[in-house]
Amino acid sequence: MKDLFRYVPGRSVIHRMNPVTKLLLTVVICVAAFITGNIFVLLGLLAADLAIGFIAGVPGKTLNILKGLMKIAIFLFVLQTLLYRDGTPLFWIITDKGLLTAATVVLRLVVVCMPLTLVLAVTRVSDLANALVQVLHVPYKYAFTVTTAIRFIPQFLEEMSDIMEAQTARGVAFDKARGLRKLGMILPLCAPLLITSVRRTELTAVAVEVRGFALRTPASGYRRYPFGLIDAAAMIVCAGMIVAAVMIR
Amino acid sequence: MIDIQSLSFTYKDEEHPALRDVTLTVPDGGFLGIIGPAGAGKTTLVRAVSGVIPHHYRGDFYGSVSVDGMDTVDTPLTDLSRAVGMVFQDVDSQIVSTEVEDEILYGLENFGVPHSEIPERLDFALERVGIADLRGRSIASLSGGQRQKVAIASVIALRPKILVLDEPTGELDPVSSRQVFSLLSSLRKDFGITVIVVEQKIMLLCEFADRLAVMDQGAVVRQGATRDVLAGADELEALGVNCPRVTTLSQLLSKRLGRSMPVCVNLDEAETMARGLMA
Ligand SMILES: Nc1ncnc2c1ncn2[C@@H]1O[C@H](COP(=O)(O)OP(=O)(O)OP(=O)(O)O)[C@@H](O)[C@H]1O
Ligand SMILES: [Mg+2]
Repeated sequence: MKDLFRYVPGRSVIHRMNPVTKLLLTVVICVAAFITGNIFVLLGLLAADLAIGFIAGVPGKTLNILKGLMKIAIFLFVLQTLLYRDGTPLFWIITDKGLLTAATVVLRLVVVCMPLTLVLAVTRVSDLANALVQVLHVPYKYAFTVTTAIRFIPQFLEEMSDIMEAQTARGVAFDKARGLRKLGMILPLCAPLLITSVRRTELTAVAVEVRGFALRTPASGYRRYPFGLIDAAAMIVCAGMIVAAVMIR
Repeated sequence: MIDIQSLSFTYKDEEHPALRDVTLTVPDGGFLGIIGPAGAGKTTLVRAVSGVIPHHYRGDFYGSVSVDGMDTVDTPLTDLSRAVGMVFQDVDSQIVSTEVEDEILYGLENFGVPHSEIPERLDFALERVGIADLRGRSIASLSGGQRQKVAIASVIALRPKILVLDEPTGELDPVSSRQVFSLLSSLRKDFGITVIVVEQKIMLLCEFADRLAVMDQGAVVRQGATRDVLAGADELEALGVNCPRVTTLSQLLSKRLGRSMPVCVNLDEAETMARGLMA
């Protein structure tokens, strides 16, 4: 969880792609997955997800995300097959259509959940924000809010584990509790955590103000985000995925 | 020049004033050290110098603060910020980027430094602070001390006329702390900037600051040339400010021997004194 959003440096094709293109790729995969109901097209999209992860040089992370999604996927798959009534029964209450629908739903879920996490792992948040401001003219305030939030997540988790360690040292047995009981132990810690976070955001607001936050315009960014050959290639792939999804439903 | 006249400030919804009738001036090119116990109002005072008080923190503000000819109450914070660079006490909350290089770029981009000038500014800041090797690193992978240096570099890159630092060596080891002070000293020499620094390590202030202000309970209880302020070592100890041992020693000696002797602020001076006594 802690390094879910941590940037993995590298020089891969995906790293060098324009951040906006990467977002487009993510969006296109999701849209295509919702347009099509064809299991082979969905499998193709899953292959695209995996390809992104492998080309970007983060195969371990890719498989980890996949493994994490599997648990939810299997649960959903079983639920779907048991509840689906249409079609010819194969055995017990399971029908052929039920199996197919369940597979489609679950595949769609996996396909949709993967790309954003992968893309964030190989894109520096600041590049993403700067590119959105420069290329898509997203107001800087919104871009800043999102980047700050993403930056706070690891900090927040770090403080959380610090507090839990301190409590464990005082005899609170976090490790022995499970489920609701554990939640009941963690919740009271959220108040002090929130207070420090709010105070910190206030300080951050002051700190950015004295460093010219109010003066920033889309032209301020020093780094430029031009579109190159890689981006053109990625756009062709995007177009291909949309066309395939529309043609083969 | 920084000119503070009878400044009193009470944070909104607080009962007691955080600053009481503070009058203080720092000439252009001066190096002022501020010292005092926790809660004395040091941070509040430097906030008033940078204009964050009263622009960001609300409260009752009496008196006047003028910085480089601008009255802080009438001048927008962004205009003040062009003249005053500020390094805050809480390092993590002032860092806005995930990468070292981006952090230093941030202010440069905002204040509209021409893009052709930016590479040189980046190199300048990184090299002066001695963190050129951290350039490509992500902030999350740095130690507290390294982050502190990044924060300092990001302000130095802006080349402000006045540099205000609130406990900039809080997370640094003795060697790095000394490096930061020599850096401030060299910037002052090379560019004539004015430095104000809140610092607990009195030895560093003795060596580098030419003026000292001692704060307690919102008031500046002593101020003046570093040596003169240290002459009142007894009073300082009473406030919980530890004077350098050589200073205490020289004062003790002058009391015991019953004759007035110069105040020593560093080892070399103490050695000279000791040799003089023995001769
Ligand atoms: N944002 C704030 N709102 C209300 N009161 C504040 C605020 N910041 C500081 N104070 C109060 O003002 C007084 C002076 O605090 P200040 O932070 O200036 O002290 P300090 O000398 O910097 O202490 P330290 O050495 O701990 O940093 C304290 O009583 C403190 O509680
Ligand atoms: Mg303080």
